[in-house]
Amino acid sequence: MNEQQTMLADMASALFGDLSHGATLAADWGRIEDMGFTGLLLDEESGGFGGGWADAAILFRLAGYHAVSLPLVEAVVAARLANDAGFAQHGFGTIAEKAEGQFEQGRFTGVVRGAAWGRNAAFVAAPAPGGGAMLLSVGDAKVEERENPAGEPRDILHFSGAPAATLTVDLFALGAAARSMQAAGALDAALALAVGYVNDRKQFGKPLGKLQAVQQALAVFACEAAAANIAATAVAQALDRGDFDYEVAAAKIRTNIAAGIGTAVAHQAHGAIGFTHEYGLHPLTRRLWSWRSEFGSEQHWSMILGHHVTTAGADHYWADMARRSDATTPSSPGCAGPGEQA
Amino acid sequence: MPFGHAGNPANRDGLVQTFTFKPFDMPANAAALREQVRAFIRDNMTDGDIARRANCWQVNDPDFSRALGKAGLIGLSLPRQYGGHDRSALERYIVLEELLSVGAPVGAHWIADRQTAPLLLRYGTEEQRRRWIPGIAAGEVYGCIGLSEPNAGSDLASVRSSARRDGDGWVLNGQKIWTTNAHIAHIMIGLFRSEEGSERNAGLSQFLIPLDTPGITIRPIINLTGEHDFNEVFFDDVKLPADALIGEEGQGWAQATAELSLERSGPERYLSSMVLVTELVRHAAKGGDPAAIALAGRFTSEAWTLRQMSLAVAGRMAMGEDPALEATIVKDLGNSFEQAVPQLVQQVIDLDLSSDDPLALLAAQLLQVSPSFSLRGGTREILRGIVARGLGLR
Repeated sequence: MNEQQTMLADMASALFGDLSHGATLAADWGRIEDMGFTGLLLDEESGGFGGGWADAAILFRLAGYHAVSLPLVEAVVAARLANDAGFAQHGFGTIAEKAEGQFEQGRFTGVVRGAAWGRNAAFVAAPAPGGGAMLLSVGDAKVEERENPAGEPRDILHFSGAPAATLTVDLFALGAAARSMQAAGALDAALALAVGYVNDRKQFGKPLGKLQAVQQALAVFACEAAAANIAATAVAQALDRGDFDYEVAAAKIRTNIAAGIGTAVAHQAHGAIGFTHEYGLHPLTRRLWSWRSEFGSEQHWSMILGHHVTTAGADHYWADMARRSDATTPSSPGCAGPGEQA
Repeated sequence: MPFGHAGNPANRDGLVQTFTFKPFDMPANAAALREQVRAFIRDNMTDGDIARRANCWQVNDPDFSRALGKAGLIGLSLPRQYGGHDRSALERYIVLEELLSVGAPVGAHWIADRQTAPLLLRYGTEEQRRRWIPGIAAGEVYGCIGLSEPNAGSDLASVRSSARRDGDGWVLNGQKIWTTNAHIAHIMIGLFRSEEGSERNAGLSQFLIPLDTPGITIRPIINLTGEHDFNEVFFDDVKLPADALIGEEGQGWAQATAELSLERSGPERYLSSMVLVTELVRHAAKGGDPAAIALAGRFTSEAWTLRQMSLAVAGRMAMGEDPALEATIVKDLGNSFEQAVPQLVQQVIDLDLSSDDPLALLAAQLLQVSPSFSLRGGTREILRGIVARGLGLR
């Protein structure tokens, strides 16, 4: 991390640790805005941080680590998209997972699903039915309130002939990358809880952590958490480069796998206490289960990545994988934004 | 914090980060270097038995090794004065992954290039370096590692083979086992108990042993596929000169374990089944079977992630750090992936394992040899114990 990223991480850690899963939009959103986090991906002329995806990865990972129950991640992405599109903003924006309906001549009629905190957002970015994405004012929608298993609002928005701005960005991919970054943080946090618990809890006259069966299970978890974290870091580099289809698919598949294994081990290590509402494991594991489905399952992304590599062909398989890391990492975070993808 | 990393700001307030990643630049000549290796492979790899491309760093082909040495692609990061090429560790990494990704038969020189030469560079005498390293870099001198004994496998500190002082020199007695390539190697780096009555990891020393020294007997152990990779090596009053001792007397344990990060996190720890992944891509592209396409996608995700991890460790080692925990994680995850590849290919695709279909030949070979992947170089159980200790358990 460079100096600015260290500052960002310190600021975010302090605030998110305080907010955690008890945060509410009414009481706490102002603290997010005061820090200017929603402008992370906006350039400085637009009043933002001028950050890149490597910076976003730090912020999103920490939001996941602390299970922050606010639409921070979505607002950061939406602010960038709106800014790129010259879409006037009042209040925070969010992103949605899917849309069905007709998008013609700048108007959308249909349904937007999985809009995070849609009920509270001023505007929403959603994948457009025919490809690309669109930006809509939530004020034009009838809102049907829903939530994911973690209790995070995932609303359905009904639009009828609403004006919509067009974006060329692959929003589903950006959402998948963001969820990978959050999941990486949540996995590390669940691992830390599990390690702390088995070192404290005594059975058979010694801490659970002294039992080899427990050690081996937590080692498996640590490997999965490590894989998720490196995938989240590497996908941010790809986003900053601007050529990221391959990496987003790879990262979402890998973090989804890690979420499946990690949540199971975390609960097994905790025993019954981890199953209680009072204990702080479920805000992490219920988010991980939710995020695993949001913006694409392993199967969804495996088909996409599988088509990518089979289309390129076996004779280019290795060369393609190798080439992707030979592009050097920008030493100062570049800002090849989501609207500028190749 | 048990496995926070000092100096990593994200961990100041007690945040756990399982894998510390520091951005690094790939060498500017990476693409050109890859092209050089690929051209060599086009010119020197024949279309022989495709099964020999699986687990290729345990496939010996001295002719290939010599040609590779002649092309300047062995001993890449060794000093020029000893026949090396003064290139960076990351340039070496690139050459290795290019060779492994296509299944090049690099087994003959692998251990000498990876371990023997660096060890001699670090602890050897000037005379030993001049005597052995140029041959290693030329792909002509091969090495083996004498660690395991009949009663010392994962419990390596149980080593009983002895080295006793004899005038200026040493006399070795005892037995090593599971010694890969002892039958083709010229030298062994062996761990012996040099202090009589010492216990566990104290009193051990490393020795450089030319394998044509009188008193050494090498017997083959044939593996389950009928092939000859490993051996028993017997030492019967083997007399060595004083300078056969490598490094410091009694420091053998520390010396032998110091470079485990290099051994555990290299590209060979996740690429042993890569040729089968590539054949699966070919199969999926031809047939269009959705299950095969999805499996190719999943393998790509895992291989891509492992490559990022392995490279991250290589990058930190190039900065002079020793990310031992991360290296252990790479090996455990990498081995699990290499082992899962043939299992999942078999699960998803109807294979006729008696046919000469390349996919079937590679899958059959890897089904048989892959159990060794999580045994060699530290068993899965040992590695996970190390990770657990890194987590602050135990």
